[in-house]
Amino acid sequence: MAATQILTQRDRLASSSARVALLLLRGRALIVLVLLVLAFSALTPLFFTANNLAILSKHVALSAILAIGMTFTILTEGIDLSVGSVAGLSGIVAGYVITNGHRGTVAAIFAAIAVALVVGLLNGFLIVRAGVAPFIATLGTLYMARGAALLSSSGRTFPNLASKSKAFAVIGQGSLLHVPIPVCLMLLLYAVAAFIASRTPLGRHIYAVGGNERAARLAGIEVSRVKVITYLASAFCAALVGIIIASQLDAAHPATGESFELNAIAAVVLGGTSLSGGRGSITGSLLGAFVIGVLADGLVMLGISEFWQIAIKGAVIVAAVAIDQFQVRLQARLLPFLLRSNPEAGA
Amino acid sequence: MSDVLLEARGIVRLYPGNIALKGVDFCIYRDKVNVLIGENGAGKSTLMRILSGVERADEGTILVESKPVQIRSPREATALGIAIMHQELSVVPNLDVTENIFAGRELTKSGLLIDKSNEDRQSQRALERLQQHLDVDRHVSQYSLGTRQMVELARTIAHGSRILILDEPTSALSTAEAASLFRVVEELKASGVSIVYISHRLHELLHLGDHFTVLRSGRVVGEAPRAQVTREWIVERMSGRTEELTSMRAAVPDDAETVLEVRNLTLAPSVGDEGAQAPVHDVNLSLRCGEILGIYGLLGAGRTELLEALAGLRKLEDGRIQVRGKRVHSESVSGAARAGLVLVPEDRQRDGLIPDLSIRENIALVSSSGPVYSRQKELERVRSLVRDLQIRANDLELPVVALSGGNQQKVLLARCLMRDPVVLMLDEPTRGVDVGAKAEIYGILKDLASRGLSILFTSSEIEETRLLADRVLVMCQGRVRVELQKEELTDEALFAAASPDVACAQRIEGVPA
Repeated sequence: MAATQILTQRDRLASSSARVALLLLRGRALIVLVLLVLAFSALTPLFFTANNLAILSKHVALSAILAIGMTFTILTEGIDLSVGSVAGLSGIVAGYVITNGHRGTVAAIFAAIAVALVVGLLNGFLIVRAGVAPFIATLGTLYMARGAALLSSSGRTFPNLASKSKAFAVIGQGSLLHVPIPVCLMLLLYAVAAFIASRTPLGRHIYAVGGNERAARLAGIEVSRVKVITYLASAFCAALVGIIIASQLDAAHPATGESFELNAIAAVVLGGTSLSGGRGSITGSLLGAFVIGVLADGLVMLGISEFWQIAIKGAVIVAAVAIDQFQVRLQARLLPFLLRSNPEAGA
Repeated sequence: MSDVLLEARGIVRLYPGNIALKGVDFCIYRDKVNVLIGENGAGKSTLMRILSGVERADEGTILVESKPVQIRSPREATALGIAIMHQELSVVPNLDVTENIFAGRELTKSGLLIDKSNEDRQSQRALERLQQHLDVDRHVSQYSLGTRQMVELARTIAHGSRILILDEPTSALSTAEAASLFRVVEELKASGVSIVYISHRLHELLHLGDHFTVLRSGRVVGEAPRAQVTREWIVERMSGRTEELTSMRAAVPDDAETVLEVRNLTLAPSVGDEGAQAPVHDVNLSLRCGEILGIYGLLGAGRTELLEALAGLRKLEDGRIQVRGKRVHSESVSGAARAGLVLVPEDRQRDGLIPDLSIRENIALVSSSGPVYSRQKELERVRSLVRDLQIRANDLELPVVALSGGNQQKVLLARCLMRDPVVLMLDEPTRGVDVGAKAEIYGILKDLASRGLSILFTSSEIEETRLLADRVLVMCQGRVRVELQKEELTDEALFAAASPDVACAQRIEGVPA
């Protein structure tokens, strides 16, 4: 039958080109990152220098660390808007303990993390027990945490932290084998998070909850526990960011971290994680954070106005999501091909 | 006036990698129930989507009353009087009955304001033709699934359709609801609507159909009027092989160990987010090693609730569950699973599969304990289950949605078997699975049972219950009414026992199985 022959030829062509397209789409965050780095390196000699790259990655580390917890919450079809405020609150707690206490750096760090985890637990409780939608619950705690930070400091800054604790300053300003400590922390956290996501039952349960919550519950996954863990993880990441910033600035300010949540969400989305849950990756978020960071840094180097930078960032985010949807559709169209490549399947 | 109202000639439809229809000729006879049968993927739905304007044919012509027509959109199909009722209901729950019936073509006063009273009158009239007495101002969400379907039918009637396509209309209905749908189909036929009826349930088709067309892999492989059609005729053409659906199985020895013992199990009716749950009263049952126990009943009889209670999804009001002599206290899924009770849920898409995860991950979803799993060990286990259950997938990393219904069901079976259950429970074991895969799943379950696994299943299909079970409990209104042994299992006995009262039993009698 003529139709059959035409079809198979047309198929083979369509199939192979679609496969290549899909492969490129899947690796798009990395491809875009490499292209950006190449472009900026070509356009300005200031960009690809050890010094600039160190500053850049120190910058990126902050939103990249927030993006880890954010990825986990988004994978369960949630979101954590409170991270910026929690970072601010943790910084204030660390600053308070160092300034007023007589207990040292370790106590300050522990206190900061503990307070953050309380907020994380509150997020989890509101979402799992009280049934508040994640967006609303964490919007509420965003304001509550910011309010707590302002109240506990009476709106003032805790300055000169390094003078009271030398060790505290190392976290933000020190470096290990020429790599800034925040960047080391970021890499370590990403390694751990990627391992959890891909190699542990917890990771698989996170994907399952986001993919189909009812099915996950019926399969015996403790959905509430999984969700609470993701908000705790997110709060933990936020606490580290708060501590790093306080250490970098040598001061804790209650307004620290404002609108940081948006950068983290942008990184997650650029990295290919779906806001409807169940699909995405940890490493994608790291790449997403770097795309944003490199873009911002490069545009500054080129002397492009800050206003343009903001607009470009927005366009990049929207484009990323549009491309992601395109990938989803392409993948769905390719499924018959994938099945046909093994003739036994699909009976 | 010719007998043929609509004729499709040489319809070809190409999909990437697949020819869905390879030159299909299909006739819709006037004032007849035209039955279309075929396994999943045979091309039935594609053909219907073409006739209803959702998709377009790559080749072929369509004639209505011998005149060639173009059906390029659902709107054009409607203009020709062709209406389709899909497998999934398309009523909007938060609109009222009238608003649903006139959704998209509201009647207006002077083209601006909705003429609600006129709409109400017309919907009332359409519903009366269906013998439905509904409050047209009530939200559809307050009505049962069967009634919602009637609303959808009323929609097609209100718009004066000549051809009504019903794509698996009974897949979500109880036997009683289905019986009332059959009556409506007969009445519509009598009032001059030609019907295309698609279903997997052979007894329905044999009861309703006037003219039969069988599709297999995109071709018509059989066509005949009712008089020439038998069950064997259909099955042979559908699967391309004559196959006895059931194999005999040795009886379970009387001295086999009792693995599951349920005493006085009672569940309070609860109102969850998905509507009220039927209560269960005082249910006693026991299950021996290697036995297959079926629970038959109508919708709302409490079958699903009973299984969910055993699977740890519901709080017992009263009663006791014992597995191998040990009392099960747990009220969580993981606790029940540890005790050896696992459930394959009824609705695969909603309650079973995680669409974004691969076949392997879906099977191994909850198998490992401890913080880190061993990839190698898991893969070996999954591979051996895939072999045992004959899941057709060479690449286990493909997304699970790539599989056919039957294979998806086997994936869920495999997930449950990963937990080494004592009792495997299945709610509607072959819902939405084609005939070939059905026979395969029955074979697999029987095989598992003869290897010592005990199986407890519920089904609303009489044939399935009869074919699969060693013994059947019939539930009605939350109670176990009768226990039937293998040799007592006849369609009549099952029907009679499941019906709440005599009147109901008589109404259903008109439906031969």
